[in-house]
Amino acid sequence: MKKYKITIIASSLLLLLLLISIFYPAYGPKDYNHQVLVKNEQGKIIGRAPFPPSEDHILGTNRNGEDMHWLLLYGAKFTLISTFGVAILRVLIGGLLGIFLSIWAPFLKSYVKDFFLPFRYIPLILIGIILMIPIVGNFNDVAISSIVTYQIIILVFIGVPSVTIFASDVTDELLKTSFVQSSILMGAGKFHLIRRQLLPYLLSYSVLFTVQQLISTLHITMQLGLFGMFLGGRNRAGIFGLDDPDKPPPTPATITNEWAGLIGQNFREFLLAPWTIFSPVIGFFIVIALVNMIKKELEENMNGLQVVKKMKKVSKAESKTFVKQGSFELVRKL
Amino acid sequence: MKRFLRIIIRLVLIIGGFLFIFNLPSLLGIGRDHVVFNFETFWGFMKSDFQSLLQIKDAAYLSFFKQLDIAESYHYSMTILFISLIFIIFMGMVFSVLIMLAPQKLRNILKSGINFFEAVPDLLVIFLFQFFVIMLYKETGIKFLQLYGVFGAKPYFVPIMTVSFLPLFLLIQFLIKVMTDEQSQQYVLYAKAKGIGRLRTLLIHIMRNIFPLSVLQLRTIVWVLLSNIYLVEYLFNINGFTQQFFKIISMGGDFASLVVCLLMFSIPLLVIEAAGWTISKLIRGKEHVTI
Repeated sequence: MKKYKITIIASSLLLLLLLISIFYPAYGPKDYNHQVLVKNEQGKIIGRAPFPPSEDHILGTNRNGEDMHWLLLYGAKFTLISTFGVAILRVLIGGLLGIFLSIWAPFLKSYVKDFFLPFRYIPLILIGIILMIPIVGNFNDVAISSIVTYQIIILVFIGVPSVTIFASDVTDELLKTSFVQSSILMGAGKFHLIRRQLLPYLLSYSVLFTVQQLISTLHITMQLGLFGMFLGGRNRAGIFGLDDPDKPPPTPATITNEWAGLIGQNFREFLLAPWTIFSPVIGFFIVIALVNMIKKELEENMNGLQVVKKMKKVSKAESKTFVKQGSFELVRKL
Repeated sequence: MKRFLRIIIRLVLIIGGFLFIFNLPSLLGIGRDHVVFNFETFWGFMKSDFQSLLQIKDAAYLSFFKQLDIAESYHYSMTILFISLIFIIFMGMVFSVLIMLAPQKLRNILKSGINFFEAVPDLLVIFLFQFFVIMLYKETGIKFLQLYGVFGAKPYFVPIMTVSFLPLFLLIQFLIKVMTDEQSQQYVLYAKAKGIGRLRTLLIHIMRNIFPLSVLQLRTIVWVLLSNIYLVEYLFNINGFTQQFFKIISMGGDFASLVVCLLMFSIPLLVIEAAGWTISKLIRGKEHVTI
C-alpha cells in the first residue's frame, strides 16, 4: 500500500469534497445567504451585491447576492459525479471496443481511425460546441434529465474514439508478448485469452485511462461552461440586475450551480467581480491538481509493468537514429 | 488497383465520419423526458449535407463563407500562432539549456516547479493574465497593453503571452526529459572525456540528436496553442478566426462552410505533421545509406 500513498490521500480528499457537497442540504443555507442590499441601522442602503471577499463572505458573493463558497460546495457534487461518470463510461465503452477491434477485427482498425479522423485534427472543445449548441444553446422547457442524458452522451462520445484507439494499441502490444503467443500456440480460445492473459493487465491500464480521461473531461466541461453549455441546461431565472424583463433573452444562468456553469455565468462580470470567476476556476485547479497527482503516481507504478517498458523502448529505438548502436566495440572487454 | 480501391474506401469513410459526427444532434432528439432516436431525420440531414458538399458549381456554394472576412481574421489568428510558436521554441531552448547547466540541487527544484504547471488549467492562466493587465491599468492609469479587441483593435502582445505560457512549460518539460535521457549516452561521456565543455556538448551534440523527436513533439504544442487561441479570442472578444467560426454555427451556415472552416483550423497541424514526416523520412533514408 505504500506505493499508493498519494493516490489514497488525494482520492479520499476528493471523496470528502463529494460527501460534503452531497450533504449540503443538511447544514448549508438553502438560499446561499441570499442578500442583495446591505442596509445600516437607519435603513439606508450602503452597499449592493456583488460583494468582495470579506469576513462575512469568505469568497465574496455573485450578483445575485449569493455566497460563492456555499454555491461551490453545493455545485461540487454535480461537477464531480458527472465528470467521473463520463470518464468511466468513456473507458468502459472505448476499452471494450478497443479489445474487440484488436482481437476480432484487426483489419478494421485503420478504417475506424479514418472514420474518426476529425477527432485528430479538430480540438474537442469545438466538436463539443457544435454538438451541444442545438440542444443546450437555447432555453427550452424539456426535462432536465433528458438534457443531462444528451450532454453525457455527447461528452462520452467525444472521448471514446481516442480511448478505443489507445486500448487497441495496448492490446496489440500485449498480444505480441511471448506468454500470450505461447498461449495461442497451445490452442487457447479468444475468450480464454481475454480472461486469463489480457484482463489482469488491462484492468490496471483502465484505472490509468480513467484518471487521464477524468482530467480531460474536467477541462472540457470547464471550457464548455465558458461557452454557455452548462450541465443541465440554462436557467430562465437569470441574474439579478442584468436582466431586463422587457427584453426577452435573459442572461443564461446555470440550474445546477455546477462549477463550469458558475464560470460561464459570471465571466462577463470579470471587471466588476473577479472573485466570482477565480473561485470556481481555482476550485477546478485544485481538483485537477489532485487528479494529476494520482495520475503521476499511477504512471510511475505502471512503469514496473513489462509491456509499458517495452512500448517505451520501442519508441526510444525509433528516435535514436543518429547513433548506431553496436558499431563500436571495446577491444579489451572488462 | 487494390491500393486505389483502398484510397477510395478511406475517402468515403472520412467524409462519412464528418457527416456522422456533425449530424449527431439530429439523431439524438430530445423528448419530453428522455432522449429519443430519430433515424429518419438523421438520414435526411446526412443526405442534404452530403449534397451541399458536392454542389461546387452552384453559385450559392460557400456563399455564407464568402460573406465573412475570412482572409484578415485568419491571417491574424495564424500570425498569433506563428509568433507564439517561434517564441516558445526559442524560450524553451534557452530555459531548458539553462536548467540543464544548473547544479543538481537547483535543477531538481526547478524541475518540480515546471511539473507543477502541468496541472494548471488554461482558463486560470488566461484569467490571471487578464486580471494582471487590468490591475496594471487601474494602478497606473496608462494603457500599456491592449487587452480587448473592441472597435476592430487587434492586440498582439497580451494574447501571445497568454497563449504561449502553458505550452512553453510543456516544451521545457519535454526537452529536459529527452536531454536527461540523452546524457546517459556514451558519446556524451566521450565528449566529456575529450574535454569538450558541457555547454558545447549540449548545444551542438545533444541538440542535434534530439532534434527529430522535438519536431514530433511540436504537434502537441501546436495543438495546445490552437485550443488556447480559441479561448483567448473568445474571452478577449477579439475578431479572430474563432468569431467567424461562431458566426457560422450560430447563424446557420451550411455544412460545406463549416467543414471548410474546420479544415482551415487544422492546416497548421497538417503542416507540422508533414514537417515531422519529412524529417523522420530524411533521417531514415540517411541511416539506410550508412548501413
